[in-house]
Formats: sequence, C-alpha cells, structure tokens
Amino acid sequence: MKLENEDELDSLILCKHCHTVHKEVPIKDGTKACCSKCGAVLYRYDSKLLDHGLALSMTGLIFFILANLFPLVKIEILGHEQFITIPRTFISLFDSGFYLVGLICSFLIFIFPLMIFSINMLIFMLLKRKRGRKLSKELLILLSHITPWNMSDIFLISILVALVKLIGYAQIHMGMAFWALVVFVLIDLYVTKSIHVSEIWMLRKRVFLDDRNVEES
Amino acid sequence: MIEIPEDKLIRCPICEAVNIDKGKKNVCRRCGSFIYKHSVFSTEKSWAYLITAMIAYIPANLYPMLITKQFGTVESSTILGGIVMLWEQGSYPVALIIFFASILIPVLKFLVLIYLLISVKYPLGKDKRVNKHKLYFMTEAVGPWSMIDVFVVAILAALIHLANIEIIAGTAATAFAISVFFTLLAAHAFDERLIKENK
Repeated sequence: MKLENEDELDSLILCKHCHTVHKEVPIKDGTKACCSKCGAVLYRYDSKLLDHGLALSMTGLIFFILANLFPLVKIEILGHEQFITIPRTFISLFDSGFYLVGLICSFLIFIFPLMIFSINMLIFMLLKRKRGRKLSKELLILLSHITPWNMSDIFLISILVALVKLIGYAQIHMGMAFWALVVFVLIDLYVTKSIHVSEIWMLRKRVFLDDRNVEES
Repeated sequence: MIEIPEDKLIRCPICEAVNIDKGKKNVCRRCGSFIYKHSVFSTEKSWAYLITAMIAYIPANLYPMLITKQFGTVESSTILGGIVMLWEQGSYPVALIIFFASILIPVLKFLVLIYLLISVKYPLGKDKRVNKHKLYFMTEAVGPWSMIDVFVVAILAALIHLANIEIIAGTAATAFAISVFFTLLAAHAFDERLIKENK
C-alpha cells in the first residue's frame, strides 16, 4: 500500500469487527458505508452532524435530568407505598454498607451517562463556535475512555427484571422517570449507534482546517 | 511517499485513527495516546485482571446474593438459587435472562479471554476459521450485560425495606460486581495488535 504522507492515513478505515482495511469513499448524505467482508457499519455521512449531535445530546441531557428527579417505580406492599429514584438506588446501597457496589453502580448508571451527554454537548458546542481546539481534543479522549462504561440501558432492563420478580407480592405503578429513562436510553442507543467517535474526530479536523484556511487568506 | 504493508496498520484504541505500527512505542498521531506501550508485558496486565475476576467469581457464586427477611424468617439465595426459584415460579424468560447474564456470559468471557491470551503467545488455533477480532469484539460488546444481577439486587434492596419485609443485598453482590469490573478491565487491557502478529 502506497501513501503520500501520514495525513493520508485518515482516508483509511479499519473495520471495528474484523480489522479489514478499507479506503474511505465519498457517499451520499444520510447513507452509511459497510464492511465488504463482514457487513458491519464502517462510517456514515451526515452533512448536518453538528446540529444533529447538539440537538440529540441536549435532548438526552434533559431526559436524563427528568429521569433522575422523579420516582422510577412506585410499589404498594401491605398498604405501604415505596418508590425509588435512580440516585436512591445507589444511595441505599451506601446506607446498607455496600460502599464498593454503591460506588461502582453510581458511576455506571449516574455519573458516566451524565458525563457522556454533557461532554457530547460541550464538544458540539465548541465545534459549532469553532473554538477550543485543544479542549475539544481532551474531551474527545475522555469521552472514548468512559463510553464503554455507560450502562443505563442495562439498568433499564434490570428495572424490568426486578419488577417481574415482584409481581404477585406488590402492586406496581410506573413512575414518570421510568418513561423519561426509556426515552433517554433510546436516545443514548441512537447516539452511540449513529454518531461514531471517529466521525466527531473527522468533523473536528474539518472545522479547524477550514478555520485555519480562513485565517491564512 | 511511504510504502507500508497492509498488516502494519493499527487502530488507535482511543480515537480509532489508523496508525502505522512502528514497533516499540506507538503514539497515536491524532489523539496522542499510547497504543499499547508495554511491548514486553503485552499480555500480563490482561492476565492479572482476568485472574482477579475469576477469583472474585467464586465467592460470587457461593455467598448469598439476595437476603429476604419476611416476618422474622430470613431467607437467602445465591445466584444459581435465584435462577432456579424463578424457573420454578414459571417466569422462564426472566430466569433465562439472569442465567445468561450472570452465569453464561461471565464463564464464556473467561474462556474466550483465556483462549485469546494463550493463542497470541502460543501457536494455538492457527487455522483461520475463527476470526479472533470478531471474537474479541463480541466479548467486549456482551460483557457489561453481566451487571444485570447486581442492578436488580440494588433496585430490590432500595425498593423493599419495610418493617416486616426487607430485602438486603448479600456478600455475593460485592464479589460479583468486582468480578464483572475486572473482566471488563481485562478485556480493555487486551492488546488487539497481538492477534494480528500471531495470525
């Protein structure tokens, strides 16, 4: 394989699943390119990635806050009413002396999801205003470190499993935060599926490259 | 003009930029992070995490996961006991989910990681029928789902604490959370470059 310089490596893509080397080709707006060997999605092209990303991360953040403020589920058991919120789930672990599990859970279901969406919002805002060349780089690196540790989707399934275990013992009412969490998880899945970290890196490169050209001319 | 063979291309694990494998010290040209800098201790870190995870998995299965206090009687159930109970009650899908999440996935993940770690050091499974990259990707994707059981216990414990009926998390919850945490670390620490070298 022959390359002009190191920058040309940016036009190459290694498939995330099977490590086959591909050369990036221009594709139509809103479409995706798939691996020729295993069919996994390589990259997408979205001309409005900036606005889409900003809108999605803001919506996600709003729904995340809603999901944390209101009760997730309410149960009636022997005439008593009990409810949980997301913060209360791990705070009660601390209360009963499970500090380690409480700490792990609080990071996985509260701190990391919150961080991911705030960082996403911040990055897209910086890129939109064409500022913070260095900050956006640091944020992107931080983002890829914490993305694999976001488990809000797993937490959602866990709520359902826990409720199935309670069927027969208690009356269950879904709270408002539960639906907010469902929406949040859907947005979260959509964002992780459709906006890839490497696409944000490419976007960042384009944004600051244009910027430099303008300054020079 | 640079000329490089295709298998000298590596992907930065942080920003996914394509880099040229320069041998000993690889620094990503885009984000500046090290790409698996330990060339001497390539698999040891991953091994250490994996063994910790496997050790933690033993008490996770022996100690009770869930302790139910109901009108004075204390009942405790292990992970496996909980699955059997759910199965007998007739909630087959949930029993299956828990079985997959807390028994099958962790054990499979241990085995796959052991296989990968051994196969990059010793000529094992050199036939190309198994795509090790794909195998690695699958373990990474499926791994976090083992946390389901810990979350379920946390939710139940937070939800049910009345005077007469109370659910408390057991020792196994801590052990299991540690086990999952370290398996995830082991998978992250695994140097994907080694697969390529030993193909």
